[in-house]
Amino acid sequence: MSGRVIVITSGKGGVGKTTTNANIGTALARAGKKVVMIDTDLGLRNLDLLLGLENRIVYTIVDVVEGRCKLKQALVKDKKNPNLCLLAAAQTRDKTAVTEEQLKDICEELKKDYDFILVDCPAGIEQGFQNAVAGASEAIVVTTPEMSAVRDADRIIGLLEAREEIKSYKLLLNRVRPNLIKSNDMMSVDDVVEILSADLIGIIPEDTGIITSTNKGEPIVNDEKSLAGKAYNNVARRIMGEDVPFLNLEEETSVMAKVKKFFSGLVGKEK
Amino acid sequence: MKDIFAEFYNKVIGFFRRTEAQEESSKDVARNRLRVVLMQDRTNLTPELMEKMRKELIELLSKYVEMDKEALELNLEQEGDQMALMLSIPVLRAKEESEIAAEEEDKEASSAETDEAENESDNDEEDSEENSDAREETDSDDDSDDEDEFENDACDCGKCEKCNPTNKKNK
Repeated sequence: MSGRVIVITSGKGGVGKTTTNANIGTALARAGKKVVMIDTDLGLRNLDLLLGLENRIVYTIVDVVEGRCKLKQALVKDKKNPNLCLLAAAQTRDKTAVTEEQLKDICEELKKDYDFILVDCPAGIEQGFQNAVAGASEAIVVTTPEMSAVRDADRIIGLLEAREEIKSYKLLLNRVRPNLIKSNDMMSVDDVVEILSADLIGIIPEDTGIITSTNKGEPIVNDEKSLAGKAYNNVARRIMGEDVPFLNLEEETSVMAKVKKFFSGLVGKEK
Repeated sequence: MKDIFAEFYNKVIGFFRRTEAQEESSKDVARNRLRVVLMQDRTNLTPELMEKMRKELIELLSKYVEMDKEALELNLEQEGDQMALMLSIPVLRAKEESEIAAEEEDKEASSAETDEAENESDNDEEDSEENSDAREETDSDDDSDDEDEFENDACDCGKCEKCNPTNKKNK
C-alpha cells in the first residue's frame, strides 16, 4: 500500500484547520479507509481534543523522533473507528523538536500501512509550516471569506507552489454564511475562488454544531443531520475521487428548508 | 411654481441617484481592497517603489515626448493569472529628432559635472511635483529646471527595469 499524504494548512490561525482535519479524517475512516492524522502543532496541540482522545495519549511524535518508542506504539486508536488513529504532538516542546527530514521519514513509514496520512499544520509560515509540508505531496488550504484569511491563504499558496514535493493543492472555504453573502456583507464563494484562482474542494457553512461537537470531542461528520457534517463528508468523497456537487447552502439554510426539516423530524419521531 | 416642482423633482431623482451610487456593499469594499493588497503582496511592489518607478519613467519618456506629467498613470493590474504594469501617458507633442539630439549633446557635455548635484536635484523635483498646484505661478521656471534634470537622470540603456517595465511582470 502507498498512502496519500495530505497537509492541511491555512497561514492564518483560527480558520478551522484542526476541525477540518478531524472531520475529513473521520469521514475517510467511516468510508472504510485506513487513516492516520499527525498533529505537527508542537506546543499547541489540539487535534486530540477535537477527537476526544486527550486522555489516551501515552507517546507523542517527539518520543518517536527521539527514539523513546516505536512509531506504532505512539499511534492512538480512535474510540469509535478502528480505521482511524492519531499521532499526537508534544505539548511541552517547541517546533524545533522535530525536523523536516524526520517528518518525511515518519510519513514514508506510515504510507506503507495507511491509505491517508493527514498532517495538521500549525498556523504561520515559519519552521512549523515547513516541517508539516515536508512529507506531503498534496495540500488543502483552509480559508474563510474574510480578508485576512484570504490574504494569508494567498501567501500559503505561493509557498506551496514553490515546493516541488507538493503536486496539487485545493481550497477549502470554511465558515461560509449564506445569509451574509446574500445581503452582500460577505465575499461570496466565487469571489474568493476568483481572487485566489485555486480549485475548490469544499464549502463548509458556519455551523454552531461545530462548537458543541468540539465540546464533546466528537467530529461533526458523525452527526447525520448537520449541514457542516454533510459538507465535510462531501469533501472526503471528493478526496477519494468521487464527483460530488457542492451543497446549495442558500437553499439548505433558508427558512422554508428549516420548516421542512422540522416537520420531517416530527414525522420521523412518530414512527 | 414651475421652479418649485422642478426643484422637488430634482431632489427626488437626486436622492435615488445618490443611494444608487453609494451602494457599494461592504463585500465589494473587501474584495477591492483585497485585490490591491494581494497584487502588492505578490509582486513585492510597494507604493514607494511604484512612485519611484513612475518618476523615473517620466524622466525617460520626456526625452522623447512632451507630456502631461501630472496625468501620467502607472498601475498594477491583474489579467487572469498575470500581473501587468499598465502605463498611460497623455502625450502633448512628440519632440523633433534634432531637438532630442541637441538635448543629448547637452547632456553629454554636462554629465561629468552634474553627477554629484544629481541627488540633490532629485529631492527638489519630488517637492516641486507635490506642491505644483500651490505654485502654479512659478511653474514655467520649474518646468525648464525639470527638463535639465530629466536629461541628467534619464537612463538610455534599453535593458534595465526603468526602460522596460514589462520585465517586472510576475505573479
